Amino acid sequence: MRSAIILLLSPLFWLAAGLPARQAQQAPRDAGFEQSLQPFLATHCYGCHNAEMKTGGLNLEAYPTTASLLQDRDKWEEVLQKVRTGEMPPKGMPRPKEAEVQMAVRWLEHLFEQADQQAKPDPGRVTARRLNRSEYANSIRDLLGVEFRATTEFPVDDSGGGFDNIADVLTISPVLMEKYMAAAERIAVRAIGADPLPKKPVEAKYSRETMNTRRLDLSTVEATHRIEWDGEYTIRFGLPGERSADAKPVTMGFWMDGKLLHTMPVETKPSKLVYFDPYSEEDMRLFLPEGDHTFRVAFINDEFVKGLSEKEAYNNKKNKFIGSMTFIGPFPTTAEKPSRKKILICDPNGGLACVEKIIVTLAHRAYRRPVTKNEVASLMKLASTAKGGGSEGLSAEQGVQVAIQAMLVSPHFLFRIERDPDPTDATKIHKVSDIELASRLSYFLWSSMPDDELLALAEGNKLRAPGVLEAQVKRMLADEKAAALADNFAGQWLETRNLDVVKPDPQKFPAWGPELRDAMKTETRMFFEAILRENRPLSDFLDARFTFLNELLAKHYGIEGVTGPDFRRVELKTDQRGGILAQASVLTVSSYPTRTSPVIRGKYLLENILGAPPPPPPPNLPRLNEEEVGNVGSLRQQLEKHRTNPTCASCHSRMDVLGFGLENYDAIGRWRTVDGKFPIDVSGTFPNGKSFASPAEMRTLLKGELPDFSRCLTQKMLTYALGRGVERYDRKTVNDINRKLAASGYQFQTLIHEIAQSLPFQSRRGEAVSKDSAVKTKEVSQR
Amino acid sequence: MITRKAISRRTILKGMGTAIALPFLDAMTPAFAASKIPGETPVRMMFVYVPNGIMMEHWNPKYEGKLRELPRILKPLEPLKDDIMLLSNLTNNAGRAWQDGAGDHGRCCGSYLTSVHVRKTKSDILSGTSCDQIVASQIGNKFRFPSLEVGIEDARQAGDCDSGYSCAYTNNLAWKSETQPLPPILNPRQLFERLFGSGAQLSPEARAQQSKIRRSVMDLVMADTRKIQTTLGPTDKRKLDEYLTSIREIERQLEKAEQDTTQINPGMDKPYGIPADFAEHFKLMTDMVTVAFQADMTRVVTFIVTREGTSRAYREIDIPDGHHPLTHHQNNPAQMEKVTQINTYHVQQFANWITRLKAIKEGDATMLDNSMIVYGAGLGDGNRHTHEDLATLVAGRGGKYFKTGQRIVHRRETPMANLYLTMMDRMGVRAENFGDATGRLDGLSLG
Repeated sequence: MRSAIILLLSPLFWLAAGLPARQAQQAPRDAGFEQSLQPFLATHCYGCHNAEMKTGGLNLEAYPTTASLLQDRDKWEEVLQKVRTGEMPPKGMPRPKEAEVQMAVRWLEHLFEQADQQAKPDPGRVTARRLNRSEYANSIRDLLGVEFRATTEFPVDDSGGGFDNIADVLTISPVLMEKYMAAAERIAVRAIGADPLPKKPVEAKYSRETMNTRRLDLSTVEATHRIEWDGEYTIRFGLPGERSADAKPVTMGFWMDGKLLHTMPVETKPSKLVYFDPYSEEDMRLFLPEGDHTFRVAFINDEFVKGLSEKEAYNNKKNKFIGSMTFIGPFPTTAEKPSRKKILICDPNGGLACVEKIIVTLAHRAYRRPVTKNEVASLMKLASTAKGGGSEGLSAEQGVQVAIQAMLVSPHFLFRIERDPDPTDATKIHKVSDIELASRLSYFLWSSMPDDELLALAEGNKLRAPGVLEAQVKRMLADEKAAALADNFAGQWLETRNLDVVKPDPQKFPAWGPELRDAMKTETRMFFEAILRENRPLSDFLDARFTFLNELLAKHYGIEGVTGPDFRRVELKTDQRGGILAQASVLTVSSYPTRTSPVIRGKYLLENILGAPPPPPPPNLPRLNEEEVGNVGSLRQQLEKHRTNPTCASCHSRMDVLGFGLENYDAIGRWRTVDGKFPIDVSGTFPNGKSFASPAEMRTLLKGELPDFSRCLTQKMLTYALGRGVERYDRKTVNDINRKLAASGYQFQTLIHEIAQSLPFQSRRGEAVSKDSAVKTKEVSQR
Repeated sequence: MITRKAISRRTILKGMGTAIALPFLDAMTPAFAASKIPGETPVRMMFVYVPNGIMMEHWNPKYEGKLRELPRILKPLEPLKDDIMLLSNLTNNAGRAWQDGAGDHGRCCGSYLTSVHVRKTKSDILSGTSCDQIVASQIGNKFRFPSLEVGIEDARQAGDCDSGYSCAYTNNLAWKSETQPLPPILNPRQLFERLFGSGAQLSPEARAQQSKIRRSVMDLVMADTRKIQTTLGPTDKRKLDEYLTSIREIERQLEKAEQDTTQINPGMDKPYGIPADFAEHFKLMTDMVTVAFQADMTRVVTFIVTREGTSRAYREIDIPDGHHPLTHHQNNPAQMEKVTQINTYHVQQFANWITRLKAIKEGDATMLDNSMIVYGAGLGDGNRHTHEDLATLVAGRGGKYFKTGQRIVHRRETPMANLYLTMMDRMGVRAENFGDATGRLDGLSLG
């Protein structure tokens, strides 16, 4: 088994196996290679990577020419990366001079670049993409003004390549189709507002006594409640107890699904009115949308309870606390629903002309393109037949409602389908239409449909006029909706979405709770948005002198002078923090529930920052016993022991150094100087010989690897923007974008502009029909 | 018009963490006939999947043949040992690396019911039709739902699922086709609504009107789809085929619902929220599966308890560490102990459920008797990622078919697919071959 793997990894295997390799061997010897790279290889590499030893499964002697080397490009990309980072030649072997390394690296880079320039351009193609959950919810919001929680209604979207918007991986199962049908029905009703509210408001109480709340800490209560109707609700908070006569008022906050909806001050000192059973109530009146929601109420930054035991905290003589939360409603809203205003652009009862106008307008936006006469006719027919058939008799408004229902399950809404003049000819490249480009842009930047301005430009074929696309990207990035990039792109790239599923051990990390979790999310989201909107350099991600904090998170970080629940920009005065690698969100999602893991963090850094994912561990290798860490010896000693095994060392030397560099942060991102009983030593040396002694110094070194980071981010963002994996033929695109990024001083918006202008974003091609896939398609359609 | 009758609608106010009463076992038993098909024993096929392997030394008894004292992990099944069958040495060869390197977790789950070595790629997916779906596609149209897919644990929200395998492989057990996984329902409310409707009470006229509109809507979008399909490349066409197939499936369900107007009273309130407590969530989901069986709404179910590679912590039994990291225990006794406890805890939930199935009479047998429920893991030893001797037990006799109460040790490397073929036979689906199957399993059946 092992030898089989090694054989496969060996370039010789591939050379022996394929025809192209044979051609390569026949190619004329080239003087350039023999004079430049080969001497370097002979001096520094052939010693181990030769035909006999094939160390690590690699025989570099098997590549006698430039052409042979290009035949095995992936392998050589890896070689290049290892030489560039200094990982090879390994520690203990004579180190080449820096100038020699530079020469070898530049020679290879130049060779690859030339090869890419000469390669025939290939934009690839994206499969018809269905909207994922966030795109669906955002599109519903922008189309109808209805808030719909797709995450609690639809099954999870499978992801590939780290993102959940990959066309080939997004499928439609019967369950999802059922949900689409049901959602369309409900959303249409909600949008038109034909659903009568109950005559009497309903009460639902959540309290300690009824055991249907969760106490997250001494001043926070959470409950999950389903709002059955869009409408106004009174939320009544029962607040038992009182504090001392000199107690200060507190601020009570109310959240829905992690979003702060409202705050109000609450008096906590004795009221002098009630003596035996002190109790007060406070009301909030708010509009709440239909759906399953998690509601949270808390006294924000409540210092007072921190001095109390749990028993004291619920003693109404000692403390005022949150006892219950009652929802009373719905009450009809006095204001007209925003959805009605949006949809009913004329009075549909006034005649068919108006109904048609409404339907055309909606379908145009829902399908993100002009609608055909036939499409309008069948929607109109649906609206009227539905109306005629029922015993109740439908009003014109309800006809519109049924038409909306149909639009929302139409493939034109649920899918983004792009057309090819030659769908089965892979050699025919064409630009996507302006209209298709508009949707590509809006789902990339907004995770939603194009707005009227963008669509109008596209329909007028003006999107590709000089300067127009650039101006549109700029405009769209300035729009509030561009926050979707922070939620959907950054949330997955940096894995901070996993904050919702990680569960740090409450025994070891009592500070962990939903408020801290939300604060962590907010910091990273605002930080990402700041770099995006202010067009800051990418190096800010690695180290920045500012971040966004509220009191809770500032305290978590040991930073003084930030008070209150609101987030604000904070200039960092020490080098303990700076950039995403010092943010609690990233540090928490890259930890185990009970402790940190330098291996996971090292891997995280290699995968998400440096774009050099470590090869998976070979089978049956002993794993690090991380359990003994902090007990038997420091983590460092343990890992160093692990690394005496040379097979482990080849990867771990790089991975662990990075992970250890972050050991000053515990598993929820707090600063620390000891782990268990052992002092923390973060110092390390990069393979290129540069050393650091603190996280800040490591960040500085990482900034030196900005080109690698930039390339990594480019690949991730290109994957996200295209909705497909980045392939071999995209290399030129990635290189071009990176060159321009470097020229711009690595400004973030340059990356987005360049992606929008890039070949794979602008164009597509047909698909080669293999016999295989033709058969498959036939099978599927027969079923 | 389709509006919900606001006043008559029950407003159920249940919060998270509250126990939801399920009186149906006592009160509802005679409510519906056992089988929709007269004179036929309703045999059900179900798979319950647990991740990250099993501590096999506490799973495998030291003996073969008749089940006597059960090992530690299986202890909760002690009172049920006459109703279960332990199968040893079954192997899922497709889960092995072959030449694809790391990713055993992704691979073993993606190949578990498909017996196909799944494609390692991040940007598209390729598996095979799973055995449950072969059965569902052949006999499923007699029932309201050809199959049900349920689960408990929410998926990882970001990042890689396993070493370059798409998350589709770890998120799903059932595959309708090689590119179309069927996602499990995790939210109890969603499962409830799927089985029993949204709870809205409509008059017969309103219901008819609703169906009529749904039909017209479906007709319209299907016509649209066919129009665009003709001009598309093969992969795009396939995507829209998935869409069309799914719509047709809903049409079929609608028809079924119209033919069968029996109102099913599930005997439980519509649940809200997702219970934080594992046992409660497990109970809710399995109780609804039980009702679906009782009402003969489906015969095929897959249940992915938690996901491969999950780092779920089990505070319910005082284990704060993540499940997956624990399974790489390096023979550390403390860690091995915790993994054993998690394995046992899962079996305990399963045992609780099948105990309830055993209490439901169906003719001269019980619901458990008439079912064959595989409880199993996609990895043998989670520490070393082995794919042989997978922990596999079958609960129930499949309708007087299996000889339960015994442990059968098969020849080493016997394909799991042999078990699937055997079960497919019992479901009346005679397949020539499946995956890497070499035949049917010996010694299982009574006859």
